Amino acid sequence: MTVDTSNGSNGGATKARGFLTWEKQEHLVKLAILILAAVLSFATRLFSVLRFESVIHEFDPYFNYRTTRFLAEQGFYKFHNWFDDRAWYPLGRIIGGTIYPGLMVTSAALYRLMWMLNITIDIRNVCVFLAPFFSSLTTLVTYALTKEIHSTGAGLVAAALISIVPGYISRSVAGSYDNEGIAIFCMLFTYYLWIKAVKTGTIFWSAMSALAYFYMVSSWGGYVFLINLIPLHVLALMFTGRFSHRIYIAYSTLYCVGTILSMQISFVGFQPIQSSEHMLALGVFGLCQIHAFVDYLRSRMPKDHFDLLFKTLVSSVISLVLIVGTLLTLTGKVSPWTGRFYSLLDPSYAKNHIPIIASVSEHQPTSWSSFYFDLQILVFLFPAGLYFCFSRLTDANIFIILYGVTSIYFAGVMVRLMLVLAPVMCVLSGIAISHLLAKYIKCVDTGTSKPATESKRQHKKLEQQSGGVKSEVAIGFVAIITLMLIVYTLHCTWVTSEAYSSPSIVLSARSHDGGRIIFDDFREAYYWLQMNTPENARIMSWWDYGYQITAMANRTILVDNNTWNNTHISRVGQAMASSEEKAYEIMRELDVDYVLVIFGGLTGYSSDDINKFLWMVRIGGSTDRGAHIKEKDYYAANGEFRVDKEGSPTLLNCLMYKMCYYRFGQMYTEGGKAQGYDRVRAAEIGNKDFELDVLEEAYTTEHWLVRIYKVKDLPNRGV
Amino acid sequence: METNWVFFVAMIFSVTLNSTISDVINKNLERTLDITSQLVKTTYKLTVEETSGKPLKDYEFIVREPNLSYISVKDGFNKKVEIEEIQENGSNLLKFNLTFSEFSSKQTLLIETVSTKNILAYPSHIKQNDKQLVKFVGSLYLYSKYPTYAQKTNVILSSPNILSHTQAKPFLVSSNKIFLGPYENIERLVDEELVIHYENQSPFLTVNTLGRTIEVSHWGNIAVKESIHMTHTGAKLKGPFSRYDFQKDGRSGQSAVKSYKTYLPASAFGVYYRDTNGNISTSNMNLLRDSVELELRPRFPLFGGWKTQYILGYNVPSYEYLFSSGNEYLLKMHVIDHIHDNMSIDEAVVTIILPEGSSNIELVTPYSIKRRQNDLIHTYLDTVGRPVVSFSQQNLVESHISQFTLKYRFSKISLLQEPFLVILFIYIIFLFTIVLLRLDFSLTSHFHKD
Repeated sequence: MTVDTSNGSNGGATKARGFLTWEKQEHLVKLAILILAAVLSFATRLFSVLRFESVIHEFDPYFNYRTTRFLAEQGFYKFHNWFDDRAWYPLGRIIGGTIYPGLMVTSAALYRLMWMLNITIDIRNVCVFLAPFFSSLTTLVTYALTKEIHSTGAGLVAAALISIVPGYISRSVAGSYDNEGIAIFCMLFTYYLWIKAVKTGTIFWSAMSALAYFYMVSSWGGYVFLINLIPLHVLALMFTGRFSHRIYIAYSTLYCVGTILSMQISFVGFQPIQSSEHMLALGVFGLCQIHAFVDYLRSRMPKDHFDLLFKTLVSSVISLVLIVGTLLTLTGKVSPWTGRFYSLLDPSYAKNHIPIIASVSEHQPTSWSSFYFDLQILVFLFPAGLYFCFSRLTDANIFIILYGVTSIYFAGVMVRLMLVLAPVMCVLSGIAISHLLAKYIKCVDTGTSKPATESKRQHKKLEQQSGGVKSEVAIGFVAIITLMLIVYTLHCTWVTSEAYSSPSIVLSARSHDGGRIIFDDFREAYYWLQMNTPENARIMSWWDYGYQITAMANRTILVDNNTWNNTHISRVGQAMASSEEKAYEIMRELDVDYVLVIFGGLTGYSSDDINKFLWMVRIGGSTDRGAHIKEKDYYAANGEFRVDKEGSPTLLNCLMYKMCYYRFGQMYTEGGKAQGYDRVRAAEIGNKDFELDVLEEAYTTEHWLVRIYKVKDLPNRGV
Repeated sequence: METNWVFFVAMIFSVTLNSTISDVINKNLERTLDITSQLVKTTYKLTVEETSGKPLKDYEFIVREPNLSYISVKDGFNKKVEIEEIQENGSNLLKFNLTFSEFSSKQTLLIETVSTKNILAYPSHIKQNDKQLVKFVGSLYLYSKYPTYAQKTNVILSSPNILSHTQAKPFLVSSNKIFLGPYENIERLVDEELVIHYENQSPFLTVNTLGRTIEVSHWGNIAVKESIHMTHTGAKLKGPFSRYDFQKDGRSGQSAVKSYKTYLPASAFGVYYRDTNGNISTSNMNLLRDSVELELRPRFPLFGGWKTQYILGYNVPSYEYLFSSGNEYLLKMHVIDHIHDNMSIDEAVVTIILPEGSSNIELVTPYSIKRRQNDLIHTYLDTVGRPVVSFSQQNLVESHISQFTLKYRFSKISLLQEPFLVILFIYIIFLFTIVLLRLDFSLTSHFHKD
């Protein structure tokens, strides 16, 4: 596939057909490559559907799925005013005002459209296949963007590269129904329209770009990156003396229309003019006006007068901006820098200050190996692409350079921002490959291949250009590039299949005889909750499972993955980390009916609640009411976290421990090991023989992965 | 016309017979009560005689037990006897008028009845490791309008563990059977209770609602989808559920339903078993000679009072069920199908979706049903919508698995409508693209580059 593409712009002639002109052949090849890339990008994301089933993956997608279902059934008005009493009991959550609705609106619109055409598809299937569908669109948009920046050939290579790049696939496989799935398309589409606007300087393209920006704002919080990158581009153009009327028109239109539109999203609200993350855009907008005004004055005034005026103006404006800025920040009009933003600039910030941000694995800094894992050869081609951009600097090239450099920094800070980096990696690598191949393939052609199939005009042109490189060298070079691309293809497919195509709601393992064992315990437990607990039962679990419980069990939960209320989560953490009596008080206070824990000790599932337990302790102890919960109480004497006999007594008697290991002490889990051997922690548990006083086991799934306990009522008086 | 006449005559006779009722006696009755499962299956072998020697034309049969689901009557020659329910206000007894096809003074009747919800868990709540004990309440003697000369009852139970039963001598208990009788000269309308308290671990599964959808396609396929809502109606689980006990101790949770078998038609393919959360990965399929056996395991074992809900679907080739002559079609399929052994369905709703353009629809069912309003469904490639025939019935058991016939008219040419639509659609897309690319819609004039 990629090999085919790399020859795309040149190889058309080899597929010569008598009745087609050269342009038509090129058109056909281009179209064929694009369609193939789009189809491939859809198909490669279907591993999980073919291996398991058409099912929503992981955690956040379940929330998106639930809200989409609500939107499709109840309509937009009700969705907008939706107060969800199923989550964050007893607080509730205003869903309409606290989400980016772009994803839900997109799928609901697609769903409605298909039903209008009598295509009676299930809403779940729309959700499952939305991300692959949008990746196909991304492939096309990448082509368009790269074509605008560099050339058609580079565009085709970039399209082919992005269709299978693991860094993007990781967030857009079928079933991974998350904002990022459509946001990357929106982002690249906005960039494409922005480049168009910069190049043409027409209001039409900048207005289009503002609309695309609006779509982007409506679908992902990552739009902040976009609204900082575009002003940065404008700023860079100003400093390099490339500022012109075209850029003035493009940016002014985009900023005004885009900002007004983005404020229509209720979750964004007045942030674009208040929060500091948006200040760069506002500042550059002002600067644009000043720059244009200065240019105007310069053309009308003598030089001496102008210089004097310029100096005074600059100094006074800068001081004024500084004073107003500090004032607004101090009075709180401009929102203080939020935690997530700090953690972008300083990776250690979150870890030191906000445990709930640090506890999410996708907020961790990226390791070097994961760059190679997610991007493979793109890592090496990226600098080459940057070089080629620098060597032929244009307004558009500056944009892609800035995009590349900033996103590589952000991707280094946070794993999940790898997603923003992947497209620009593809674009720049596409430029590099196309540039190199275009240079060397000509020498190959003149030396060996059949010139008979070439058109005469082209042949002549090639002969003129192929100075300096020997045919053998050229062949060797092309062969190496080809090999690299083949390896890239294999690597991407392997990574997709092995690492990114597991729904994580259904686990599978290999048994001793090589057969596949499926652990479907999560759905077993959630379905049990849905079928056999009262309709209004309140379920306490750690926040990771909140979205899944509301979506699959349709029951009220205390905390969920939208971690907006730290105190509430902390309260749940305190309950889990306390002894039974103390926990009972908290559970009574929160009206808990059932408690759900994930336990992997029997199957060896390592991301269970005991392994997450230290985060519960940290978050539980991070507020005033949980001040008595200290992390060091949960470590053994030698400072380790152990569940066996040497573990700290506080740990061995806390609620979480008891719920996970209730009656586990009688189980034989592995041959040759004692009863109650925990396969994840590789230790025999320390506290085996105990009974629960305030809870009773309500349900435990087949492989003990999910355990549900019922909170007993207060005992009758006098009994 | 003729049946009407016979009916009329029978009516007159029954009126005249009322005065001479004492002449009819139940000469001998052999009754078998099968209460091994959640159903009460009763077979009566009844000899009836008209003592005055007149030919006996009809007989009134009373069913004492509530929730009667199914009844069938045959005479001594294994011929069907006509049954007609006698409507009577203010009485909760079911009375049937049986009309014999041959008139003689001595008649033999073979009656089979099945009733549901007459065996109740007692105690109603048990712990996980307890045995499920149930209580059956029925009538000791045949409740009849006529005196009974001699009668015997054999009760078959699910286990030899009998806690108590009505001590009406003579009786004999052997293993899991109780032989009651013979009782002689029981007057008419004697109502005596028979109570048996015994152990019954068989699955007490009730299908609360069954939604069965049959979608007919003339391209060779019939898709069947059954949406099932099920409850364990035995003794409810009291106290905690312990997975450890359930896995380690074979005696624990015996009354819980871990799995059950569903039989599908032998030609069934493309079977799926799922619920709102997706595929239920715990099931096995075996191809047998005359059926497809599905071993369905619900996501969780069903203890007393626990519910579950699932969708089971499959396809069958249409040539086995759909017959045609010209434009006339005939669909013959089961009203309901097997779900599990000794099943009991509270309510079944059957929906039949016919191809678009079907008309003159005529439904014949083997027993009376409640017709619902005909409807239209719009799905893939439809324009005017597919006609939908729908009906429902309550309290069904396995004996109700029998065929309905549905006649309709469908012109073969309409079969081509759907491919034609697709072709037209693609054609329009191409046409549109051609027009769009060839014509210049801009307001300003460009000079063309070559």
